[in-house]
Amino acid sequence: MRLVRANLRATVLLVLTAIPAVAHTGDLSGGFLGGFAHPLFGPDHVVAMVAVGLWGAFLGPPPMFVLPIVFPLVMAVGGALGIVGVPLPAAELAIAASAIVLGLMVASAARPPLWVAATIVAAFAIFHGYAHGAELPAGTDAAAYSIGFVTATGLLHLAGIGLGLTVRWPAGRMGVRGTGAAIACAGLLFLWRLA
Amino acid sequence: MRRLAGLALALPALLPIEDACAHPPFAGATGFYGGALHPLFVPTQAIAVLSLGLLIGQQKLHLRWPMALAYAAGLGIGFAAIISAFAPQFSTEALLAVAAIVAALVALARAVPWLTACVLALAVGITLALDSSPGGISVREANVVIVGTFCGAVILLWAILEVVVIFHREWQKLGVRILGSWLAASAILVLTWRLAR
Repeated sequence: MRLVRANLRATVLLVLTAIPAVAHTGDLSGGFLGGFAHPLFGPDHVVAMVAVGLWGAFLGPPPMFVLPIVFPLVMAVGGALGIVGVPLPAAELAIAASAIVLGLMVASAARPPLWVAATIVAAFAIFHGYAHGAELPAGTDAAAYSIGFVTATGLLHLAGIGLGLTVRWPAGRMGVRGTGAAIACAGLLFLWRLA
Repeated sequence: MRRLAGLALALPALLPIEDACAHPPFAGATGFYGGALHPLFVPTQAIAVLSLGLLIGQQKLHLRWPMALAYAAGLGIGFAAIISAFAPQFSTEALLAVAAIVAALVALARAVPWLTACVLALAVGITLALDSSPGGISVREANVVIVGTFCGAVILLWAILEVVVIFHREWQKLGVRILGSWLAASAILVLTWRLAR
Protein backbone atom coordinates (compact mmCIF):
# COMPACT_ATOMS: atom_id res chain seq x y z
CA MET A 1 0.00 0.00 0.00
CA ARG A 2 2.86 2.28 0.91
CA LEU A 3 4.46 1.54 -2.46
CA VAL A 4 1.26 2.35 -4.30
CA ARG A 5 1.04 5.66 -2.45
CA ALA A 6 4.67 6.49 -3.24
CA ASN A 7 4.17 5.72 -6.91
CA LEU A 8 0.90 7.63 -6.94
CA ARG A 9 2.70 10.66 -5.52
CA ALA A 10 5.40 10.31 -8.14
CA THR A 11 2.75 10.11 -10.84
CA VAL A 12 0.98 13.22 -9.57
CA LEU A 13 4.30 15.05 -9.42
CA LEU A 14 5.13 14.05 -12.96
CA VAL A 15 1.75 15.19 -14.25
CA LEU A 16 1.95 18.48 -12.35
CA THR A 17 5.39 19.23 -13.70
CA ALA A 18 4.27 18.45 -17.22
CA ILE A 19 2.71 21.88 -17.76
CA PRO A 20 5.12 23.75 -20.04
CA ALA A 21 5.63 22.08 -23.40
CA VAL A 22 8.71 24.11 -24.27
CA ALA A 23 11.44 22.33 -22.45
CA HIS A 24 15.02 23.21 -21.62
CA THR A 25 14.38 26.63 -20.19
CA GLY A 26 16.72 26.51 -17.22
CA ASP A 27 17.36 30.02 -15.99
CA LEU A 28 20.71 29.38 -14.42
CA SER A 29 23.30 30.08 -17.04
CA GLY A 30 26.79 28.77 -17.34
CA GLY A 31 28.91 26.34 -15.40
CA PHE A 32 28.11 23.04 -13.76
CA LEU A 33 24.93 24.28 -12.06
CA GLY A 34 23.57 25.69 -15.31
CA GLY A 35 24.18 22.39 -17.08
CA PHE A 36 22.83 20.39 -14.15
CA ALA A 37 19.64 22.44 -14.02
CA HIS A 38 19.07 22.31 -17.77
CA PRO A 39 17.55 18.80 -18.01
CA LEU A 40 15.73 19.23 -14.71
CA PHE A 41 13.88 22.30 -16.00
CA GLY A 42 12.66 20.43 -19.06
CA PRO A 43 9.73 18.26 -17.98
CA ASP A 44 9.72 16.36 -21.27
CA HIS A 45 13.35 15.49 -20.66
CA VAL A 46 12.72 14.53 -17.05
CA VAL A 47 9.85 12.12 -17.79
CA ALA A 48 11.71 10.49 -20.69
CA MET A 49 14.86 9.96 -18.61
CA VAL A 50 12.90 8.52 -15.70
CA ALA A 51 11.05 6.28 -18.18
CA VAL A 52 14.39 4.94 -19.46
CA GLY A 53 15.26 3.91 -15.91
CA LEU A 54 11.82 2.43 -15.24
CA TRP A 55 11.92 0.44 -18.46
CA GLY A 56 15.36 -0.81 -17.56
CA ALA A 57 13.94 -2.12 -14.30
CA PHE A 58 11.45 -4.25 -16.24
CA LEU A 59 14.26 -5.62 -18.39
CA GLY A 60 16.09 -6.69 -15.24
CA PRO A 61 19.84 -6.89 -14.59
CA PRO A 62 22.23 -6.68 -16.33
CA PRO A 63 20.27 -5.14 -19.28
CA MET A 64 18.80 -2.72 -16.72
CA PHE A 65 22.11 -0.87 -16.70
CA VAL A 66 22.81 -1.08 -20.42
CA LEU A 67 20.26 1.58 -21.29
CA PRO A 68 21.79 4.22 -18.97
CA ILE A 69 25.18 3.43 -20.54
CA VAL A 70 23.92 3.65 -24.12
CA PHE A 71 21.87 6.80 -23.61
CA PRO A 72 24.63 9.28 -22.63
CA LEU A 73 27.00 8.00 -25.32
CA VAL A 74 24.43 8.44 -28.09
CA MET A 75 23.11 11.64 -26.52
CA ALA A 76 26.60 13.09 -26.89
CA VAL A 77 26.43 12.45 -30.63
CA GLY A 78 23.09 14.28 -30.77
CA GLY A 79 24.57 17.05 -28.65
CA ALA A 80 27.48 17.35 -31.06
CA LEU A 81 25.04 17.73 -33.96
CA GLY A 82 23.23 20.46 -32.03
CA ILE A 83 26.44 22.30 -31.18
CA VAL A 84 27.69 22.18 -34.76
CA GLY A 85 24.28 23.38 -35.95
CA VAL A 86 23.34 20.44 -38.15
CA PRO A 87 19.59 20.80 -38.72
CA LEU A 88 17.60 17.98 -37.19
CA PRO A 89 13.94 18.29 -38.15
CA ALA A 90 11.14 17.86 -35.62
CA ALA A 91 13.48 17.47 -32.67
CA GLU A 92 10.89 18.72 -30.15
CA LEU A 93 8.27 16.42 -31.67
CA ALA A 94 10.62 13.47 -31.32
CA ILE A 95 11.32 14.39 -27.70
CA ALA A 96 7.58 14.47 -26.97
CA ALA A 97 7.21 11.18 -28.84
CA SER A 98 9.98 9.70 -26.69
CA ALA A 99 7.88 10.28 -23.58
CA ILE A 100 4.90 8.57 -25.25
CA VAL A 101 6.83 5.56 -26.56
CA LEU A 102 8.95 5.02 -23.45
CA GLY A 103 5.91 5.57 -21.22
CA LEU A 104 3.97 2.97 -23.17
CA MET A 105 6.87 0.52 -22.93
CA VAL A 106 6.83 0.91 -19.15
CA ALA A 107 3.03 0.80 -18.94
CA SER A 108 2.90 -2.41 -20.96
CA ALA A 109 5.91 -3.87 -19.11
CA ALA A 110 7.41 -4.59 -22.53
CA ARG A 111 10.44 -6.88 -22.54
CA PRO A 112 11.83 -6.81 -26.07
CA PRO A 113 15.32 -8.14 -26.88
CA LEU A 114 18.02 -5.91 -25.45
CA TRP A 115 19.17 -4.68 -28.84
CA VAL A 116 15.64 -3.50 -29.68
CA ALA A 117 15.34 -1.62 -26.39
CA ALA A 118 18.82 -0.12 -26.82
CA THR A 119 18.00 0.97 -30.39
CA ILE A 120 14.77 2.68 -29.32
CA VAL A 121 16.50 4.47 -26.45
CA ALA A 122 19.47 5.42 -28.63
CA ALA A 123 17.21 6.86 -31.33
CA PHE A 124 15.50 9.15 -28.83
CA ALA A 125 18.81 9.99 -27.14
CA ILE A 126 19.93 11.67 -30.36
CA PHE A 127 17.04 14.15 -30.14
CA HIS A 128 17.43 14.82 -26.43
CA GLY A 129 21.15 15.43 -26.92
CA TYR A 130 20.44 17.64 -29.91
CA ALA A 131 18.15 19.86 -27.83
CA HIS A 132 20.82 20.24 -25.16
CA GLY A 133 23.59 20.92 -27.65
CA ALA A 134 21.59 23.43 -29.67
CA GLU A 135 20.66 25.37 -26.52
CA LEU A 136 24.13 25.50 -24.97
CA PRO A 137 24.35 29.15 -23.87
CA ALA A 138 27.04 31.30 -25.43
CA GLY A 139 29.88 32.26 -23.12
CA THR A 140 29.36 29.20 -20.98
CA ASP A 141 32.11 27.09 -19.45
CA ALA A 142 31.31 24.25 -21.85
CA ALA A 143 33.19 21.62 -19.88
CA ALA A 144 31.46 22.28 -16.57
CA TYR A 145 28.12 22.78 -18.33
CA SER A 146 28.38 19.48 -20.22
CA ILE A 147 29.45 17.57 -17.12
CA GLY A 148 26.50 19.12 -15.31
CA PHE A 149 23.85 18.14 -17.79
CA VAL A 150 25.26 14.68 -18.44
CA THR A 151 25.34 14.09 -14.67
CA ALA A 152 21.76 15.30 -14.23
CA THR A 153 20.60 13.09 -17.09
CA GLY A 154 22.37 10.08 -15.60
CA LEU A 155 20.94 10.75 -12.17
CA LEU A 156 17.44 10.89 -13.65
CA HIS A 157 18.08 7.44 -15.16
CA LEU A 158 19.23 6.16 -11.80
CA ALA A 159 16.17 7.69 -10.13
CA GLY A 160 14.02 5.79 -12.63
CA ILE A 161 15.90 2.57 -11.91
CA GLY A 162 15.52 3.19 -8.17
CA LEU A 163 11.78 3.66 -8.51
CA GLY A 164 11.65 0.73 -10.90
CA LEU A 165 13.22 -1.63 -8.37
CA THR A 166 9.80 -1.75 -6.70
CA VAL A 167 8.58 -3.98 -9.57
CA ARG A 168 9.58 -7.02 -7.52
CA TRP A 169 6.42 -6.45 -5.47
CA PRO A 170 2.97 -6.67 -7.10
CA ALA A 171 1.93 -3.26 -5.76
CA GLY A 172 5.17 -1.70 -6.94
CA ARG A 173 4.78 -3.30 -10.35
CA MET A 174 1.33 -1.81 -10.65
CA GLY A 175 2.58 1.57 -9.50
CA VAL A 176 5.49 1.58 -11.95
CA ARG A 177 3.21 0.63 -14.82
CA GLY A 178 0.84 3.39 -13.73
CA THR A 179 3.77 5.83 -13.75
CA GLY A 180 4.57 4.67 -17.29
CA ALA A 181 1.01 5.40 -18.34
CA ALA A 182 1.24 8.85 -16.75
CA ILE A 183 4.48 9.51 -18.63
CA ALA A 184 2.82 8.52 -21.90
CA CYS A 185 -0.08 10.88 -21.10
CA ALA A 186 2.42 13.66 -20.34
CA GLY A 187 4.02 12.96 -23.73
CA LEU A 188 0.65 13.36 -25.41
CA LEU A 189 0.25 16.68 -23.61
CA PHE A 190 3.68 17.83 -24.87
CA LEU A 191 2.68 16.81 -28.36
CA TRP A 192 -0.65 18.57 -28.13
CA ARG A 193 1.03 21.79 -26.98
CA LEU A 194 3.50 21.62 -29.84
CA ALA A 195 0.71 21.20 -32.40
CA MET B 1 42.40 -1.24 -31.82
CA ARG B 2 46.12 -0.71 -32.41
CA ARG B 3 45.35 1.87 -35.10
CA LEU B 4 43.13 3.70 -32.63
CA ALA B 5 45.90 3.74 -30.06
CA GLY B 6 48.38 4.89 -32.68
CA LEU B 7 46.09 7.74 -33.64
CA ALA B 8 45.70 8.74 -30.00
CA LEU B 9 49.46 8.79 -29.55
CA ALA B 10 50.04 10.68 -32.80
CA LEU B 11 47.59 13.44 -31.86
CA PRO B 12 50.01 15.49 -29.75
CA ALA B 13 52.68 15.32 -32.44
CA LEU B 14 50.27 16.73 -35.02
CA LEU B 15 49.48 19.81 -32.98
CA PRO B 16 50.66 23.16 -34.33
CA ILE B 17 52.93 25.22 -32.10
CA GLU B 18 51.78 28.41 -30.41
CA ASP B 19 52.66 30.62 -27.44
CA ALA B 20 52.08 29.00 -24.10
CA CYS B 21 49.08 30.13 -22.12
CA ALA B 22 48.64 29.48 -18.44
CA HIS B 23 45.33 28.92 -16.71
CA PRO B 24 45.50 28.46 -12.97
CA PRO B 25 42.80 26.12 -11.65
CA PHE B 26 41.28 28.95 -9.64
CA ALA B 27 42.22 32.42 -8.43
CA GLY B 28 45.00 32.40 -5.88
CA ALA B 29 46.22 28.89 -6.70
CA THR B 30 49.77 29.45 -7.86
CA GLY B 31 53.16 27.82 -7.57
CA PHE B 32 53.54 24.16 -6.64
CA TYR B 33 50.07 23.80 -5.14
CA GLY B 34 48.47 25.60 -8.05
CA GLY B 35 50.12 23.09 -10.36
CA ALA B 36 49.20 20.16 -8.14
CA LEU B 37 45.54 21.16 -8.08
CA HIS B 38 45.46 21.83 -11.82
CA PRO B 39 44.44 18.30 -12.93
CA LEU B 40 41.76 18.17 -10.26
CA PHE B 41 40.11 21.53 -10.85
CA VAL B 42 40.38 21.90 -14.62
CA PRO B 43 37.32 19.91 -15.78
CA THR B 44 38.84 18.64 -19.04
CA GLN B 45 41.88 17.31 -17.22
CA ALA B 46 39.79 15.81 -14.44
CA ILE B 47 37.70 13.99 -17.09
CA ALA B 48 40.87 12.58 -18.68
CA VAL B 49 42.51 11.41 -15.45
CA LEU B 50 39.29 9.98 -14.07
CA SER B 51 38.64 8.10 -17.32
CA LEU B 52 42.15 6.67 -17.35
CA GLY B 53 41.90 5.72 -13.69
CA LEU B 54 38.68 3.84 -14.34
CA LEU B 55 40.16 2.09 -17.39
CA ILE B 56 43.27 1.01 -15.50
CA GLY B 57 41.10 -0.19 -12.62
CA GLN B 58 39.07 -2.33 -15.03
CA GLN B 59 42.16 -4.11 -16.36
CA LYS B 60 43.81 -7.20 -14.97
CA LEU B 61 46.46 -6.74 -12.31
CA HIS B 62 49.43 -7.35 -14.61
CA LEU B 63 48.33 -4.46 -16.86
CA ARG B 64 47.86 -1.84 -14.18
CA TRP B 65 51.47 -1.04 -13.44
CA PRO B 66 52.59 -0.75 -17.08
CA MET B 67 49.65 1.56 -17.78
CA ALA B 68 50.35 3.74 -14.75
CA LEU B 69 54.02 3.93 -15.69
CA ALA B 70 53.16 4.78 -19.29
CA TYR B 71 50.97 7.60 -17.99
CA ALA B 72 53.79 8.94 -15.79
CA ALA B 73 56.21 8.61 -18.70
CA GLY B 74 53.76 10.50 -20.90
CA LEU B 75 53.61 13.30 -18.35
CA GLY B 76 57.40 13.38 -18.31
CA ILE B 77 57.62 13.54 -22.09
CA GLY B 78 54.97 16.25 -22.27
CA PHE B 79 56.60 18.40 -19.63
CA ALA B 80 60.01 17.89 -21.23
CA ALA B 81 58.48 19.21 -24.45
CA ILE B 82 57.11 22.25 -22.59
CA ILE B 83 60.47 22.94 -20.99
CA SER B 84 61.90 22.77 -24.50
CA ALA B 85 59.51 25.63 -25.41
CA PHE B 86 57.05 23.41 -27.31
CA ALA B 87 53.52 24.70 -26.79
CA PRO B 88 50.84 23.13 -28.97
CA GLN B 89 47.74 25.05 -30.02
CA PHE B 90 45.10 22.35 -29.67
CA SER B 91 46.33 20.53 -26.59
CA THR B 92 42.94 20.64 -24.83
CA GLU B 93 41.20 19.23 -27.91
CA ALA B 94 43.77 16.43 -28.14
CA LEU B 95 43.34 15.67 -24.45
CA LEU B 96 39.56 15.53 -24.84
CA ALA B 97 39.81 13.27 -27.89
CA VAL B 98 42.01 10.80 -26.03
CA ALA B 99 39.79 11.07 -22.94
CA ALA B 100 36.69 10.33 -25.03
CA ILE B 101 38.33 7.16 -26.41
CA VAL B 102 39.46 6.05 -22.96
CA ALA B 103 36.08 6.76 -21.34
CA ALA B 104 34.23 4.97 -24.16
CA LEU B 105 36.43 1.91 -23.53
CA VAL B 106 35.46 2.12 -19.84
CA ALA B 107 31.76 2.17 -20.83
CA LEU B 108 32.24 -0.79 -23.19
CA ALA B 109 34.18 -2.70 -20.48
CA ARG B 110 36.10 -4.76 -23.01
CA ALA B 111 39.54 -6.17 -22.32
CA VAL B 112 42.07 -3.84 -23.92
CA PRO B 113 45.30 -5.29 -25.43
CA TRP B 114 48.25 -4.29 -23.28
CA LEU B 115 49.98 -2.31 -26.01
CA THR B 116 46.84 -0.34 -26.80
CA ALA B 117 46.24 0.27 -23.10
CA CYS B 118 49.78 1.53 -22.55
CA VAL B 119 49.69 3.73 -25.64
CA LEU B 120 46.43 5.29 -24.49
CA ALA B 121 47.86 5.91 -21.01
CA LEU B 122 50.96 7.44 -22.58
CA ALA B 123 48.77 9.65 -24.79
CA VAL B 124 46.74 10.87 -21.81
CA GLY B 125 49.98 11.73 -19.98
CA ILE B 126 51.47 13.60 -22.92
CA THR B 127 48.34 15.57 -23.80
CA LEU B 128 47.63 16.40 -20.16
CA ALA B 129 51.14 17.75 -19.73
CA LEU B 130 50.93 19.75 -22.94
CA ASP B 131 47.61 21.16 -21.76
CA SER B 132 49.25 22.36 -18.54
CA SER B 133 51.88 24.66 -19.94
CA PRO B 134 52.49 27.55 -17.55
CA GLY B 135 53.10 30.90 -19.19
CA GLY B 136 53.60 34.56 -18.35
CA ILE B 137 55.74 33.69 -15.32
CA SER B 138 59.45 33.27 -14.74
CA VAL B 139 61.21 30.05 -15.75
CA ARG B 140 61.82 29.19 -12.11
CA GLU B 141 58.15 29.66 -11.20
CA ALA B 142 57.08 27.71 -14.28
CA ASN B 143 59.29 24.80 -13.29
CA VAL B 144 57.76 24.75 -9.83
CA VAL B 145 54.27 24.71 -11.37
CA ILE B 146 55.29 21.88 -13.73
CA VAL B 147 56.62 19.78 -10.84
CA GLY B 148 53.40 20.48 -8.96
CA THR B 149 51.25 19.47 -11.91
CA PHE B 150 53.25 16.26 -12.39
CA CYS B 151 52.81 15.35 -8.73
CA GLY B 152 49.13 16.32 -8.75
CA ALA B 153 48.39 14.33 -11.91
CA VAL B 154 50.13 11.21 -10.57
CA ILE B 155 48.54 11.46 -7.12
CA LEU B 156 45.08 12.00 -8.61
CA LEU B 157 45.38 8.91 -10.80
CA TRP B 158 46.71 6.89 -7.89
CA ALA B 159 43.81 8.03 -5.67
CA ILE B 160 41.24 7.09 -8.32
CA LEU B 161 42.91 3.71 -8.79
CA GLU B 162 42.87 3.02 -5.07
CA VAL B 163 39.12 3.49 -5.09
CA VAL B 164 38.37 1.60 -8.31
CA VAL B 165 40.40 -1.52 -7.52
CA ILE B 166 38.25 -2.28 -4.47
CA PHE B 167 35.16 -2.49 -6.67
CA HIS B 168 34.44 -6.21 -7.01
CA ARG B 169 30.68 -6.41 -6.87
CA GLU B 170 28.70 -6.48 -10.07
CA TRP B 171 26.77 -3.29 -9.36
CA GLN B 172 30.02 -1.46 -8.60
CA LYS B 173 31.48 -2.55 -11.93
CA LEU B 174 28.31 -1.41 -13.66
CA GLY B 175 28.60 1.90 -11.83
CA VAL B 176 32.10 2.32 -13.26
CA ARG B 177 30.74 1.65 -16.76
CA ILE B 178 27.94 4.17 -16.29
CA LEU B 179 30.44 6.76 -15.05
CA GLY B 180 32.59 5.97 -18.09
CA SER B 181 29.66 6.67 -20.40
CA TRP B 182 29.05 10.00 -18.64
CA LEU B 183 32.71 10.95 -19.00
CA ALA B 184 32.78 9.95 -22.67
CA ALA B 185 29.64 11.97 -23.33
CA SER B 186 31.07 15.00 -21.55
CA ALA B 187 34.38 14.73 -23.42
CA ILE B 188 32.65 14.41 -26.80
CA LEU B 189 30.40 17.40 -26.11
CA VAL B 190 33.19 19.66 -24.88
CA LEU B 191 35.43 18.61 -27.76
CA THR B 192 32.71 19.38 -30.29
CA TRP B 193 32.01 22.71 -28.63
CA ARG B 194 35.66 23.69 -28.72
CA LEU B 195 36.06 22.67 -32.36
CA ALA B 196 32.83 24.37 -33.43
CA ARG B 197 33.27 27.74 -31.75
